[in-house]
Amino acid sequence: MAIELHPLQQFEIQRIVPLQIGGIDISFTNSALLMTIAVGLITALTVLGTRKAALVPGRWQSIAEMSYEFVADLVDTNAGHGARQFLPFVYTLFMFILFANLLGLVPWSFTVTSHIIVTFALAIVVFIGVTIIGFVKHGAHFLRLFVPEGVPAVLLVLLVPIELLSYFIRPFTLAIRLFANMLAGHTMLAIFGGFAASVGLLAIFPVGINIALVGLELLVALLQAYVFAILTCLYLRDALHLH
Amino acid sequence: MSESEPPDRLARLGKRLDQARAKRDGEAAATRDEPALQQGMAVGLRIGVELVVAIVVATALGWAIDRWLGTSPWLTIVLFFLGVAAGMVNVYRALTGVKMAVGYRRPNAPDAGRQRANDKWDDEE
Repeated sequence: MAIELHPLQQFEIQRIVPLQIGGIDISFTNSALLMTIAVGLITALTVLGTRKAALVPGRWQSIAEMSYEFVADLVDTNAGHGARQFLPFVYTLFMFILFANLLGLVPWSFTVTSHIIVTFALAIVVFIGVTIIGFVKHGAHFLRLFVPEGVPAVLLVLLVPIELLSYFIRPFTLAIRLFANMLAGHTMLAIFGGFAASVGLLAIFPVGINIALVGLELLVALLQAYVFAILTCLYLRDALHLH
Repeated sequence: MSESEPPDRLARLGKRLDQARAKRDGEAAATRDEPALQQGMAVGLRIGVELVVAIVVATALGWAIDRWLGTSPWLTIVLFFLGVAAGMVNVYRALTGVKMAVGYRRPNAPDAGRQRANDKWDDEE
């Protein structure tokens, strides 16, 4: 029995509608398809869920309202006052990552967030946005963020580079955390699936592990979206309320 | 539900909501550990990457600048240690409830205390 294991095959980008414009490949891929589905589902949930807004919400309205309240609470407690205007952005970010993660768990689908370029694009938008907000709000004063208070001038030579570095690695940690979690989880699922296919009747053990792993992955999918959103809020707070 | 007057219906709904809330709060008290566990997991998942990425990114940056300026290997070495320091600073801040704040100032610093008073942001860890 020669079953070949390709645990990484699931991450391959496949062109669904090949398209070239000016030598740039802008094909509609499986990745793009899943992103479109995620955006479509979120739009459907929020638009249809609140169309017939009742005082006593039905199921869909409940889900839409609960997700909104969850993120609103997140923004209020973590980004401080005056951050409500960024709620739509954080909500979009949270829902997109959450749906991308959850859709990735559907068999034969594709996990958008397991590609570092996707998570990095999201992270760099947050990073650049927060930096711009900081400068717009505080001007050159924003640079004070990198100068710790009450430190002898000699130590500043050492501390300012550390502060700068820890500011500039933010998009990387944000991107790598989400990407690595999704990649590792899905690879693990595929490997145990491969075991199951190659050991005959003993397959009950790897399948049992896989069932548990799917539960864990559901948790990770939610937690990672939550962590991404919460960190965005914390960065926003830094930019809005210079300590 | 066949109440007669609209205001009455609202009042009754309010009453039922209050009852439901009271019941839920009673239940929530019994399972109060759950949010704490979730918070813990969220923090844990956040910390792991922090240190590693700081070192890797800083060292890669040093290596790139070295190649660009031809100063190999000095900047790689310096930035490696700065990366270690930055990673540790980030982890320390995340764990002590200061979150990811760059340039954190003590709460008793004259201008920071005022802001901190109206912020209720670190009550969750």
